[in-house]
Amino acid sequence: MVTFKEQLGAWRRVIFALFLRELQSKFNDKLGLGWAFFQPFLFIFALSYARSLISGSTVHSMPILLFMLIGMLYIQSFLTSMGPVAGAIKKNKPLFAFRQVQPIAAVLTALLMEFSIKVGALVLLVLTLYLLDIDVRMDNPLLLIYLFILLWIFSGAVALLFGIAATYLPEIDKIKMFIQRPMFFISCVFFSLQDVPERYWPYLTWNPMVHFIELSRYATYTSYGSAGVSLSFVTSVTLILLFFGLALYHLTWKKVLAR
Amino acid sequence: MIRIENLTKSYPSRLGPQYIFKNLNFSFPTEKNVAILGKNGAGKSTLFRLLAKSEYPDRGRIITNRAMSWPVALQTGIHPQMTGRENTRFIGRINSVRSLSKYEKYVQEFAELGKKFDLPVRTYSSGMRAKLVFACCMNIDFDVYLIDEATSVGDPLFRKKAKATLKEKSQKCGVIMVSHELDQIREYCNSAVLIDKGKLSYYDDLEEGIEAYTNPESKKGN
Repeated sequence: MVTFKEQLGAWRRVIFALFLRELQSKFNDKLGLGWAFFQPFLFIFALSYARSLISGSTVHSMPILLFMLIGMLYIQSFLTSMGPVAGAIKKNKPLFAFRQVQPIAAVLTALLMEFSIKVGALVLLVLTLYLLDIDVRMDNPLLLIYLFILLWIFSGAVALLFGIAATYLPEIDKIKMFIQRPMFFISCVFFSLQDVPERYWPYLTWNPMVHFIELSRYATYTSYGSAGVSLSFVTSVTLILLFFGLALYHLTWKKVLAR
Repeated sequence: MIRIENLTKSYPSRLGPQYIFKNLNFSFPTEKNVAILGKNGAGKSTLFRLLAKSEYPDRGRIITNRAMSWPVALQTGIHPQMTGRENTRFIGRINSVRSLSKYEKYVQEFAELGKKFDLPVRTYSSGMRAKLVFACCMNIDFDVYLIDEATSVGDPLFRKKAKATLKEKSQKCGVIMVSHELDQIREYCNSAVLIDKGKLSYYDDLEEGIEAYTNPESKKGN
């Protein structure tokens, strides 16, 4: 009988092998691995900086650059992880010939990869804030860390659902693209929920990304306020999606192999 | 010994599920090298993939106490952008070989790729790829090697070496091979499993199996 510890060791080895393979095949051009961190950093920073030049220096008591950085980092984390992570099942299909490699290993690897890239970009962003001498407060770091990790679990669960669905219905990928685009504009990246009249809130607050972003801003500057968003909502949405993602995976993974 | 119990396998299609095997019960020994014979679409590759647990049956199960290799075909696990060495290390890691550096060295020697081992696989010829895949597989200790026809190409010298290695190993391990090339099968195997209309039959003697495969009528006469 295989013990739990051996089982865990086997998973670790497979994910490590897949991770290295991903690194070796993805970044073997001249720009190399550095580009992986630099590209999202540049994109997030350029857009945030441009926005901060247009309007005043603070939004609801927090520096506008930080306000934008949080929004951009979060929405980018969600959107890019939806792409490569959800596509990981399809992309790694030839590898499922090895019985050690199961579809979820591919999803976890892609998620880990995107997570590392975004953390790398985050480090660069913090460094830039420091070098630009922008004063940044951090009122509730625990809440911020919790939200960031929860965001990744949330993205992983959504990606798992889309990834499995796409192996059954290829059309799902087109629908996914269709949903992704507007997410950028309705997730309170460029504006605060506070700026929207309260009677329109129900049209925005169904979206967990609004809660993730607004709560993270609240975590850095408590004075920003957290009206209309709730921590228990994002936590329960994440848990429910994770449950359905894993349940769907458990039911279908053997059939996914044959598709 | 491999035992197949009550196995059902189908693939979904626009015309409803296509059954390859229905409630199949069968067992065959793996001590001798086995060729899987059958017409196109009879389910050779499906059986092959089921044995390797690359796919799973709808119902039923396959029981064996022997360590199976992965289905060794030309493309499995090889990334064209990565070098031969990186690919080798990946396969070694996945199969948790004890010492990666030793494994790497053996594969490099066996595959006879020389310096090209450190070039991306996309620059290889198909024969060289086959050699690499075959070398990766042969240098891991399995009880049963599952080998697809494409892998057994390569030049005659390499084939001779591959055959010698398999012979050497055949004290403790077997080969299961899928191929249409009867010459190749005769080279490697000495017994056969024939798939016909979802039914399997085992022939202890390879020639008998080939006879039943090539002339199904003559068998009816008996």
